[in-house]
Amino acid sequence: MKKRWDQVGWNEGKRIKWKELGWYLLVIMITIPFIFPLIWIIAAAFKTQAQIVASPPIWIFEPTLNNFKSVFMEQDFARFLWNSSVVAVASTVLSLLLGLPAAYSISRYKQQTLGVFILVARLMPGISFLMPWYILFSKIRMVDTFSALIASHMLVALPLIVWIMINYFDGLPRELEESARVDGCSIQTAFLRILLPISGPGIITATTLSFLFSWNNFMFSLVLSTHRTKTLPIAIYNFVSYAEVSWGNVMAAAVVIITPAIILTMIFQRYVIKGLTVGAVKG
Amino acid sequence: MKEVRLIKAAPAFTEVITLSAKKPFRVNQLIEKNIKWLFPLPTGLFIFLMMIFPVLYTFYVSLTDWDMISGGRISFIGLDNYVNLLKEPRFFNSIKLTLYFTIMAVGIEVVLGVAIALILNRDFRGKNLVKLILLLPMVATPVAIGLAWTLFYEPTIGLGNYALKLLGLPASQWLGSSKMVIPSLALVDIWEWTPMITLIVLAGLASLPQEAFEAALVDGATPLQIIRDVTLPLLRPTILIALVLRCIDALKTFDIIYVMTTGGPGFASETLNIYAYNLSFNYFRFGAASAALVALFTLVLACNLLVLWMRKTYEL
Amino acid sequence: MISKKRLSRGMFLTIFILSLMAIIAFSIGAAPKQVTLRFVAANHPYTDVIKPLIPEFEKKTGMKVNVENYEENQLTQKLTVEFTSRASTVDVFMTRPLQEGRLFYKNGWYHKLNQYLPAAGWDWADYPKSIVEAVTLNREVYAIPIVTEWKTLFYRKDLFAAANLKVPTTLEELEAAAKKLHNPEKDMYGIVSRGQRGAAVTQFSSYLYSFGGDFIKDGKCVIDSPEAVEAFKYYGRLLHDYGPPGVTNMSWPQAQALFASGKVAMWTDASVLIAGIIDPGKSVVADQVGVAIFPAGPAGARPFQVVPWSVAVAAQSRQKDAALEFLKWATSKQVAKTAQLNGLTMARTSVWNDPEIVKQLYPGLAESANLTGPIAVPYDRPLMTAVGEARDAIGEVIVKAIETGGQADIASLAKIAAGKVDVLLVRAGEGPN
Repeated sequence: MKKRWDQVGWNEGKRIKWKELGWYLLVIMITIPFIFPLIWIIAAAFKTQAQIVASPPIWIFEPTLNNFKSVFMEQDFARFLWNSSVVAVASTVLSLLLGLPAAYSISRYKQQTLGVFILVARLMPGISFLMPWYILFSKIRMVDTFSALIASHMLVALPLIVWIMINYFDGLPRELEESARVDGCSIQTAFLRILLPISGPGIITATTLSFLFSWNNFMFSLVLSTHRTKTLPIAIYNFVSYAEVSWGNVMAAAVVIITPAIILTMIFQRYVIKGLTVGAVKG
Repeated sequence: MKEVRLIKAAPAFTEVITLSAKKPFRVNQLIEKNIKWLFPLPTGLFIFLMMIFPVLYTFYVSLTDWDMISGGRISFIGLDNYVNLLKEPRFFNSIKLTLYFTIMAVGIEVVLGVAIALILNRDFRGKNLVKLILLLPMVATPVAIGLAWTLFYEPTIGLGNYALKLLGLPASQWLGSSKMVIPSLALVDIWEWTPMITLIVLAGLASLPQEAFEAALVDGATPLQIIRDVTLPLLRPTILIALVLRCIDALKTFDIIYVMTTGGPGFASETLNIYAYNLSFNYFRFGAASAALVALFTLVLACNLLVLWMRKTYEL
Repeated sequence: MISKKRLSRGMFLTIFILSLMAIIAFSIGAAPKQVTLRFVAANHPYTDVIKPLIPEFEKKTGMKVNVENYEENQLTQKLTVEFTSRASTVDVFMTRPLQEGRLFYKNGWYHKLNQYLPAAGWDWADYPKSIVEAVTLNREVYAIPIVTEWKTLFYRKDLFAAANLKVPTTLEELEAAAKKLHNPEKDMYGIVSRGQRGAAVTQFSSYLYSFGGDFIKDGKCVIDSPEAVEAFKYYGRLLHDYGPPGVTNMSWPQAQALFASGKVAMWTDASVLIAGIIDPGKSVVADQVGVAIFPAGPAGARPFQVVPWSVAVAAQSRQKDAALEFLKWATSKQVAKTAQLNGLTMARTSVWNDPEIVKQLYPGLAESANLTGPIAVPYDRPLMTAVGEARDAIGEVIVKAIETGGQADIASLAKIAAGKVDVLLVRAGEGPN
């Protein structure tokens, strides 16, 4: 079978193809800049402050666990991990519960204006929400709970989930539901029992991305959280003190924040990529 | 219980019918008839409630002179804030910088992203690993990334100048130079988001029709000609969407600029979003800040309308 | 391929469990029964000292104290949002008299303390007059001072010894020493000081005063006086010619990191920053740090000594008695002594006279404090409400001065900045009478 010029595999011919090697070198050169800073952060998390600020940079050093010890013991990071998880999970789940039916309806009934309205929520700059939300939530005595945080994160998650799922549902053929309906079942049951189960990939994509955006959110969490509900991105600033910045601790905290996100990404890699490309590519 | 019967039932449709027989027939019908409203209602309502107050509030405050400096009195001053904004050089500076940052960052991201996608567009061992690595800058917390890059950019002890020295290039002041600060910030954005463009384009490439390429090969075209005359034109809608999506988010960039320079040195990196932040939480001039936020919202809205318009023109 | 039935059952179960989690999470917000105080603090060594001591207080009084801490700018931001909404639950908080004192006072966010202070237990007489003035407006005390800091010169003892240099006592000698030790080829820079816009203003202040300049006089901004312009030019020249690259984006973290990595011979900044350069785990020059008082300028020696942080009771607190109790304890002599033993420089006089403590202080620090005290200027920034905006306006001139080595038309730039500050003064009702 004829292969596309860009589909030539790597095993053609038995002798070393220098062009192949050169190409692989190119790939490595492309990949390194993207991963290098992250590797540096991880390395710095195991260095002392003096080693981090040393110049020329120290590549070989004796790793220390002190930074991680500070992070978990002095600053109670376990609690922050829990807080971030609760908020991310809750806001994602609730957004799914609300967003999936909405996306279905917009997709099947071509409710364009509604779709646009939901997407407009993405356009407002985050700062405009801070003061009014604080006033609102404090009037109904909700500030000291996770609820306010979760609701604010949902405002970011919902449009995202709706947008991804609209495009996903658009790509699913209508025959499945139509045959179900012919057999006498209602639209909502067709949605629940037929469509959702096969929407696994789209849902996983939406869930992962929504979780990530909530996990990394800084602004809303700063204003709406108290000591009980402080989330990770705020906590990283715990090490930026009045008279010193403990870089080692900051980097260790960064590792603690980034690792779950990376693990999640690794597990759902295929779906995350699909989610990002949905809406940009047909089919 | 009817549930048990469900799970034991074999074909999908029988399950379905059993379930619907469980609910009272009238409620079911009611739901079905109004599903067009019922399904989107919770979402629409939630978003409306969460947004309506902030939106109205911001517009309202932008028409007042609310200012904690004068003790928090609020009086209505109409469009004065907007007029003052238009007279304020820092406002125009911030718009200029916002556009400069966005165009530079997104421009390079798209060119680089497409180039990398074209290079990586073949099956090879480790392709998934490479894709995974490319995903990582996007999922890393911006606040953490900003702090790390600040260290990289330190002119004396940072890795940035160390790398330049190794390459034989002159050292740069990076974030400390009024000229270099926006490019330095753009570099961080490029590092974070080029992978997204690459991945979008890779997916697009995978769905391009084979025939065009085969025809070109038959005609004896060189790879470069193929890229220029076949691949890129076919990719245009994909690239366009990716480009505009990035633009919207780039216009609103906040976290990395806040962490790395808060608008400095001087005001050389004060984008509109940062300017609004400074007005709110550094100067406590909420009236003026709200006007700036409305301006930012308008800017982003304009770009979003551009998306919709381009999508209509290029995809149907 | 997971069967549809199992997928839907699994989904239902997951959603159920997660909702349960959410409900539990929501219910954590339920109000507890004992008195619970909310103390909002800054990321500061003082907070680090007080946190482990809080269980003692809780045991003694039966109250519970929840501490939150934030980076200083985020602290102000959070407090502002909460207080503006008039529904804050903050009871006690740390505050910067010079930065937000007037703003918060004007908006009625501090609970006034005059009536309580004469009582025993507060030991109010332990604070020197100048420090008391720092937390007083219209004869009302709005917060209790906790720490002091003053303008210091940090220098490398080894480099000075090797170059046979005396510690500079005048600004001329400072510039000469910087020139002598400046060696960019070998990655060594003569001197560093803050150059980042608003942040630089506080460190520039002592230079300004030493040239005979000031920020405000009689309700008008005098940053464009000939003396002030000289100060700008000096500062710009000093950092441009003998400073490290990128100094215009440097606040104290960057300057501190640079000194700690051994790349700079001298550093002028606030005394409290010494912590990051004398710890061997944090600094490669930990054992070579010398401390000196800030050199004198043409108008004499005029370093600043200020109260950067104080603790206040929120006017909106619903548990004022409990909050005051906590405030009294947190600023007590015992706590101050513990803090001073941990390297802080507190505001109470008694801890400075305690011989046990004096023994512990870093050599040179106590002397510099004593020498600086009598001649110090009690503020390091313009005393006005719209401080943030004023600092940015003045900072702009500093940045230009550094960028051009003092060669730009500083006089005009300063005049423009002074104009901007005048507008801010008038708007806040602090203009000329």
